Amino acid sequence: MSDVFPKWTNRLPLYAATTAILFGGGLMAGFWYYFTPKYTRVGYQPIQPVAFSHATHAGQLGIDCRYCHTGVEKSWYSNLPASSTCMNCHNQVLKDDPRLALVRESAQTGTPIPWVQIHKLPDYVYFNHAAHVNRGVSCVSCHGQVQTMEEVFHAQPFSMTFCLDCHRNPAPNLRPLDKVTDLAWDPHQHLPAGWAEKAISDWKVKPSQHCSACHR
Amino acid sequence: MKTIPPPCPEPESGPKYWRSLDQLADTPEFREWVEREFPSGASELTDPTTRRHFVKIMSASFLLAGLGLTGCRRPEERIMPHSKMPENQVHGVPQYFATAFPLRASATPLVVTSHDGRPTKIEGNDRHPDSNGATDQFAQASILNLYDPDRAISFRQGGHAKSREQALDMLTELAAKAAASQGQGLCFLLERSSSPTRERLQARLAQKLPQARWFVYEPVDFDIHRQAATLAFGQPVAPANKLDAAKVILSLDHDFIGAEEDSWLNVRRFAKGRKIHRPEDEMNRLYVVEALYSLTGANADHRLRVASGLVQAVAARLAMEVFKLTGKHAELANALAALAEPAKPWEKWIVEAAADLVKQGAGGLVMAGYRQPLAVHLLAHAMNSALGAVGRAVQLLPAPPPAGESLEKLAAELNAGKVDTLVIVGGNPAYNAPAAMEWPKLQAKAKAVIRLGYYEDETAEGCAWHLPMAHYLESWGDARTADGTLVPVQPLINPIFGGLTELEVLARIGGLAATRPYDLVRETFRELSGSAEENAWRKFLHDGFLAHSAAKPVAGQLQASAVASVLSEAKPVAAPGAQNLEVVFYRSYSTDDGRFNNNGWLQETPDPITKLTWDNAILLSPKTAQALNIGGLDEKAKGNKTEKGLFFNQVAALELNGRKLSGPVWIQPGMADFVVGLALGYGRTKTGRIGRLADGSPAGFNAYALKAGTEAHAQGARLTVLPGARRQLASTQEHGSMEGRPLIREANKEDFARTPTFARHMDLDSPAHTGHIANDAQGNPKPIYPRPQLNGMHQWGMVVDLTSCVGCTACMVACQSENNIPIVGKEQVAKGREMSWVRLDRYYAGTVEDPQIAYQPVFCLHCENAPCESVCPVNATVHDDEGLNLMTYNRCVGTRYCSNNCPYKVRRFNFFDYNRRPLDQLYRSPFSLNKDGQVEAVRWLKDPDKGTVPADQWDLLKLARNPDVTVRMRGVMEKCTYCLQRLEQAKIAKKVKARASGDVRLNERDGSVPKTACQQACPAEAITFGDIADPDSQVSKLKKLPHNYSLLGFLDTRPRTTYLARIRNPNPRMPDYDARRPHPQTLNEYISRHGSPLESHGAKGKKESVHPPKGAHQ
Repeated sequence: MSDVFPKWTNRLPLYAATTAILFGGGLMAGFWYYFTPKYTRVGYQPIQPVAFSHATHAGQLGIDCRYCHTGVEKSWYSNLPASSTCMNCHNQVLKDDPRLALVRESAQTGTPIPWVQIHKLPDYVYFNHAAHVNRGVSCVSCHGQVQTMEEVFHAQPFSMTFCLDCHRNPAPNLRPLDKVTDLAWDPHQHLPAGWAEKAISDWKVKPSQHCSACHR
Repeated sequence: MKTIPPPCPEPESGPKYWRSLDQLADTPEFREWVEREFPSGASELTDPTTRRHFVKIMSASFLLAGLGLTGCRRPEERIMPHSKMPENQVHGVPQYFATAFPLRASATPLVVTSHDGRPTKIEGNDRHPDSNGATDQFAQASILNLYDPDRAISFRQGGHAKSREQALDMLTELAAKAAASQGQGLCFLLERSSSPTRERLQARLAQKLPQARWFVYEPVDFDIHRQAATLAFGQPVAPANKLDAAKVILSLDHDFIGAEEDSWLNVRRFAKGRKIHRPEDEMNRLYVVEALYSLTGANADHRLRVASGLVQAVAARLAMEVFKLTGKHAELANALAALAEPAKPWEKWIVEAAADLVKQGAGGLVMAGYRQPLAVHLLAHAMNSALGAVGRAVQLLPAPPPAGESLEKLAAELNAGKVDTLVIVGGNPAYNAPAAMEWPKLQAKAKAVIRLGYYEDETAEGCAWHLPMAHYLESWGDARTADGTLVPVQPLINPIFGGLTELEVLARIGGLAATRPYDLVRETFRELSGSAEENAWRKFLHDGFLAHSAAKPVAGQLQASAVASVLSEAKPVAAPGAQNLEVVFYRSYSTDDGRFNNNGWLQETPDPITKLTWDNAILLSPKTAQALNIGGLDEKAKGNKTEKGLFFNQVAALELNGRKLSGPVWIQPGMADFVVGLALGYGRTKTGRIGRLADGSPAGFNAYALKAGTEAHAQGARLTVLPGARRQLASTQEHGSMEGRPLIREANKEDFARTPTFARHMDLDSPAHTGHIANDAQGNPKPIYPRPQLNGMHQWGMVVDLTSCVGCTACMVACQSENNIPIVGKEQVAKGREMSWVRLDRYYAGTVEDPQIAYQPVFCLHCENAPCESVCPVNATVHDDEGLNLMTYNRCVGTRYCSNNCPYKVRRFNFFDYNRRPLDQLYRSPFSLNKDGQVEAVRWLKDPDKGTVPADQWDLLKLARNPDVTVRMRGVMEKCTYCLQRLEQAKIAKKVKARASGDVRLNERDGSVPKTACQQACPAEAITFGDIADPDSQVSKLKKLPHNYSLLGFLDTRPRTTYLARIRNPNPRMPDYDARRPHPQTLNEYISRHGSPLESHGAKGKKESVHPPKGAHQ
């Protein structure tokens, strides 16, 4: 009997399987890399309506985070300051600067400044700032070195893994409560060995890893 | 000097930190911008508008670039902070304000939760001296009325919208006109109110406008209690029933648990006297004489079914007996023989009940219901006086004189043409005035009608002016609670639609200088408290009551002659028959007298007895239905029959004295024979989208059409079935029998004392039946499959005391309010898809004519071995280390396997998007055509968030939601969460307070353990929640009680919510106490099938053991 199929079809299944594996693997790898929050969110740095520089205010001038973000110790929500907070200084400093025109206008007319939201968790996640800030987790653990940011960008992926990694092992992210807003402070330099373990035991730090911690 | 950071460097490795797509693209615009923004050496931009201009360009280019990778990014969202920080408010932290819910002549003290300046949840004020922090279902649901899109929002003159200023000008003109004529021709029609400010204003206006006439009308009026007591004791008093001081209570058609004023207060007192934890505790005893099956009857130890008209006879016979035994008021007894004649059939019942009352002396209490005529009330007072209960179980509190004359007098004025201006405040006489008056025609006889109303309803038609009324949560006012304590009505939000309050309208018509309600209330406070200090006022508002302002009880002697003269005029009423039915108009447990007709939560909360939603029905006893051939011959619709699982009931026409109505017939076991029960408050023609069904017809039928006068029951009705006509009724519980299964476990007090652990011997879960299962270290049977680690700091658990639970449904509405539970509409309820997380099971046991009722609220029991958790394919329902069964909504794909596996059937599934679709448009697909001609899919693409709900409903109902709880979408399973949001908030609050310390455990001693919504709302305190890992917590102590049991315990689900068996307290001498079957009927049923848990059985007992002897299995 002559060959019904040409010889090269003998290899076809092998080629097909290899291509499928490579393609599928490539697709998966592509998704894994490009479509996870680590890629899509980290580095997000939208242009804000007012060129507020954290590097100047929090870094150079050393204003504490809580001067503006007043609700962070009391509420789940860390609020943006009202324009009146800006005007506390800026009714004297850079009084007529054109870059602050929107701020002055807002403080006078009551129209809010439309800041672009950078850090946003999905609605089904109920994160509480007060529970973290009051228990030794610094702003820097999640928001990065904000005091060096000229324009704030998204520093950490804020995926569920990111939260769970710390909940599983909070020690690296704990620090004395008076250093929580000192973003430049390096715990490795200043804290004695075993400090975090002792804090976890003394303060009964036991972050929940159950769904009820964040999902209601 | 300003630091100038270098332009973003390109990192050598790792992910690129780019700022914009254009940087990535390195377009010329970007390079130009970089150079302009940070030119080295320059400190200012040369062109000030460049940045804003640039932002515009960039956003435009972003939009264009949206087709690219930015499509994957979430849409840009904005944060709009304040421009001026508000004081004392932090977003995310709720505030609490004390206020009160005024209802008729009383008020419920409240503490209302406010999020961002709007009220979201109502709770009771437990600091108030006469409150335990509980509410009833009306108070809980009243918050939905605030956000009702159908409320009146415009000032209308002759139907045309005008401005607020024009309306106020009109009031000023009216004031001038009235002042000039001294109020001649001016009539006020008000609702009943306990507000001292209104009283003061009325007095001022009566001074300034002496010719003006004042009238008060309530379709369901409790004023007869005051009238009777005033007559009986010869001084202006009203009775205050201290049910907790009463050992034996006899109710003459007095539904104090569900239908009387301040029922939540009565429930609290009654439950307090009934609570039994140890077998030797004292328990009160309740006798009920009634025609309908009411909530009070459901909780009775002994119940006598008599027609309402015959209650008088029963009362007379009872009084004769009580006077005989106590030797008091003999002069009255003589007049009663004739009246008592019709009560002969129930002689033994009455005599024994009287004996029991007299035995208790001052601890006996007789109460007459608001539907009964004056004679019955006077008899009740006479009996209380004879028993010595006056001043003890019933106290007399000074009562203010009535605020106005009756509606009949106003009708006379209108007919005589003497009314120029009729000012109607609240109320809805066009809907609920006595039918004989034909109010709409009567109202037209006034030259001008000005109405202040919450809805543009039946009464609003033909009004010269209709003014929108402010809700009590938007108003300044005051009220007095039942004990006379002054409470403020404090607004939590500015009137959303600029409505007016009653006080303001009255003040303006009186031409008073002060018209702001705040000033008026404050002035009244100054007078009543005697203090003009700011601190006193602030304390009043903070606490929610004025300390020591309760009315002092007065002593009273029965005025026998006054009582005798009324009794002599009373005529015995004939017993009703098949052609001569008695009609009873009763206050609906859902819509009250019709004021809550447009409240979705209340319409969907099932009536506790009939379990009907969205409808009322013509209630008949089984014998009556049989006599009238209802449920027999019509093949298409036989009584309460189902077709494809849906209930279709026969429709009948009811005729009374020439007036007719038609409605579906409902056969209600336990009713008196030849009595027809009609719930008021339905069948409204001019109501909102809730009071109307999907097809536009009103929900239910209007019982007021038959109510000719102010009496609550009438004789001489005829009922005829309309052949072939039927109506679908949505009932949430079709099956009324437990079939002998030990779901609700009951026993009499004596049996409980003899066998305290009886409840543990009623199922296979008791230790006696699990001897063949190996035990773990604690001695409990080993679970059959691996359990989650329950090693959290707290272990949450709950106990529901079935003796205390009266079935009032306050917990159901509270849960709905707290957890953003949607309503689904009549059609879906009929399919069993109601969303309420609490299911109040109502079971009948005994004979069909005279059954007993038992209640059991069932919600997610948070089983330790939850059957639902192991079957979820996506692990959306998991277990917490603190014992909670969690529901992660975002993970749920809607398999419904968990609900399938739940033995208690407490899981509710969102079959449709009830929040974003109107209830009559649930079954729509992406290809459906909308009313505006758009295809659904296209509309969704334009705005996925909006839904097809009308804009006003969308905007307003959003405000009612609790922001701490997820609002669930279609396809997601939900269930009771033990108010997880409250638990988490409490734990977070404790941690925030603890800071650098280890004091993070919630415990009852410092009050940090939160209450679940149902627990907080329950007036009977039947629900106890807490930490079972704490041996001193209330819930731990309750779980150790002998009559604590698990529902369906033999399934080994180990539920965290357990029940305390119900204990009844019958009187062995009563004729309905059968010595051969003396137990509660559910227990009788159980014993007839399974043997008695009160006697030992098994290997040692008399009964043949069905279990293999111990040791036969490993």
